[in-house]
Amino acid sequence: MGKNLGRVLWAAIALAAAFSMGAVAQSRGEPVNSTWLVIASVCTYLVGYRFYARFVAARVMALDDKRATPAERLRDGHDFEPTNKWIVFGHHFAAIAGPGPLVGPTLAAQFGYLPGFLWIVIGATLGGAIQDFVILFGSLRRDGKSLGQMAREEVGKVGGFTALITVLLIMIILLAVIGLVVVNALKDSPWGAFTIFATMPIAVLMGLYLRYWRPGKVGEASLIGFILVMSAVWGGQAVAQSATLAPWFTLSGKQLAAALILYGFLASSLPVWLLLAPRDYLSTFVKLGVVILLGAGIVLVRPDLQLPPLTRFIDGTGPIFAGKIFPFCFITIACGAVSGFHALISSGTTPKLLSRERDAYGVGYGSMLLESFVAVMALIAAASLQPGVYFAVNSPAGVVGAAPAAATATITNWGFPVSPQEMSTMADQVGEKTLFNRTGGAPSLALGMAHIFVSSTGGRAFMGFWYHFAIMFEALFILTTLDAGTRVGRFMLQDLLGHAWPQLGRTSWMPGILGTSAVIVLAWGYFLYQGVVDPLGGINSLWPLFGIANQLLAAVALCVGTTILVKMHGAKFMWVTCVPLVWLVAVCFTAGWQKIFSPLPALGFLAQADQLAAGPQTAVTATLVFNARLDAAVTGIFLVLVATILIDSVRVWAGILGGRRTAKSTETPFVPTRLAEEL
Amino acid sequence: MTAFLRAVAEIISGVVAELSDQNAYRRHLAAHGAVHSPEEWRRFQDEHWAAKSRRGRCC
Repeated sequence: MGKNLGRVLWAAIALAAAFSMGAVAQSRGEPVNSTWLVIASVCTYLVGYRFYARFVAARVMALDDKRATPAERLRDGHDFEPTNKWIVFGHHFAAIAGPGPLVGPTLAAQFGYLPGFLWIVIGATLGGAIQDFVILFGSLRRDGKSLGQMAREEVGKVGGFTALITVLLIMIILLAVIGLVVVNALKDSPWGAFTIFATMPIAVLMGLYLRYWRPGKVGEASLIGFILVMSAVWGGQAVAQSATLAPWFTLSGKQLAAALILYGFLASSLPVWLLLAPRDYLSTFVKLGVVILLGAGIVLVRPDLQLPPLTRFIDGTGPIFAGKIFPFCFITIACGAVSGFHALISSGTTPKLLSRERDAYGVGYGSMLLESFVAVMALIAAASLQPGVYFAVNSPAGVVGAAPAAATATITNWGFPVSPQEMSTMADQVGEKTLFNRTGGAPSLALGMAHIFVSSTGGRAFMGFWYHFAIMFEALFILTTLDAGTRVGRFMLQDLLGHAWPQLGRTSWMPGILGTSAVIVLAWGYFLYQGVVDPLGGINSLWPLFGIANQLLAAVALCVGTTILVKMHGAKFMWVTCVPLVWLVAVCFTAGWQKIFSPLPALGFLAQADQLAAGPQTAVTATLVFNARLDAAVTGIFLVLVATILIDSVRVWAGILGGRRTAKSTETPFVPTRLAEEL
Repeated sequence: MTAFLRAVAEIISGVVAELSDQNAYRRHLAAHGAVHSPEEWRRFQDEHWAAKSRRGRCC
């Protein structure tokens, strides 16, 4: 009876997934309610989790709870510690959820909500979650080894070294592009700039509180920090209205970029307890709180999606970024569907905490589904804006014109009516001078979120507060990734350079710390500056570059995963990782090729450089030409690096499957668990 | 129902303790056979964050 009831229930869930997916996909002409997207995504995740992931866990990985995990065998009270699966789930989710699943879907909404939605849900279920799960499993069976170590041991030395260089390069592009998102959100916004600047002394205050005044009281410090940050959001309005203070916080893109570069350098060089640690606590709690709040807001308000399912920009002429729906929708949304960066987390702390092998199923696969749902919520928030407003906020002045009348006329001509008065009223409501040309995705997402918060709590007077609260949340989130990433990049560079000059590898040698911090900061700072001075807003070139890089890292992770599966089962189950791998290789290499060689200047870096070089020559033009060629070179380097790992992996697979190479696994031998009684 | 709510509350407090490093600090005290003191917390902070700040943060 119970079994039959279960079958009926799962059949109902599968039907609900299919029906609501059909409703979302078939709808034309009338706004679709966001409830359909919520039902379609949640039911698809449930089916994927219950059937596909369980199949992979049982048949492909053969997860065995009788096998002791690294957390048990290597238990040291520091890194390795058997931990409750729900706690590891929270830890893992907090580590994988960054700004990517918020910004990517917002930008990809230029194609309409449908392509992004389908990619987020299907990509996560069949690709992203599988990648996270397989890498977590691989690391779990190899004493918690990192992706780089596994690449070296499973694929070969070339693969390992290439993975390390790829990660470092991706980190640089990632930091630049997320920095650009913050710059574009805070440009000429005294309210936003004041709030974000205020978070820095607040973090230092929290650091001192935790270090000297109330050591260990993280909860107290975080609560004080949160109250102060909320006060800063509230007080920002007064600053923006003050004739004396507002000019101090009304900053240009270049000024903000310089401030970010200085901040990154300080965060990488100062003691970690003073700035980085307290910001990390604050950011983590704010992040989880806002995600829950947004989820509750969407369920309560159930907004209609104002954007159409497909826009005219699927032909590649979009104002936010150039390129057709294939491959660029799948590049723009990386985190939320498939993110290579997750492989670093899945082979980092998480495998060292799992107490049972089967917990990897919920933590590895389940966390990614939750992140995917965050991406769906971001897409709903962005798509619930009026299309004209969405494009007015996200389109660069270089495409639609700098004057409000010109911009609204261009956007209205595209079939998305919007007027200067409408934009002006909305800017007044959120306490900004203008909302035109605020590229990067953060402001339009903040507008969408503010609408949802205002609709669920009432009180249109609070629109400005909620908008700046959302901006604060996004910027706080991004800056935490930026400062932590700069530090990680510094350590990676010190590790690399330490082979040539051991003194540089010492993490306590101040000249080494300052020198490597400066190199990392200047590297991403250069790309950030390039984005700031780009007449097309920077996002057009940098976000696809980041997307390509992140997806290529996923390809590296899936190469490692496939090698592990081939060594376990031969060709039998290699499709599990090969299917997403083939898709990502097709997407990334097509996108990379088009970004370098497309004859269209809006799309191809080299064509853009040639077009600029053929025009009137100024110092600015020369810089733009150099930047376009540099971007082409960086994209080319990414493609060569990943092609190297791919070829190396295929060589290993062919050797094993052809019987010319032994399937030598580096899996640690079976040791029976003794934790069963303890847990 | 009460048991279920209690279990949920325990999980939430466990996640909060993990994210705020309280669990890690407890493990540190147990591993070193130490008791909480300002100096011990500072030693924990330095050791813990030296390792934590080397880990990649997702995008």
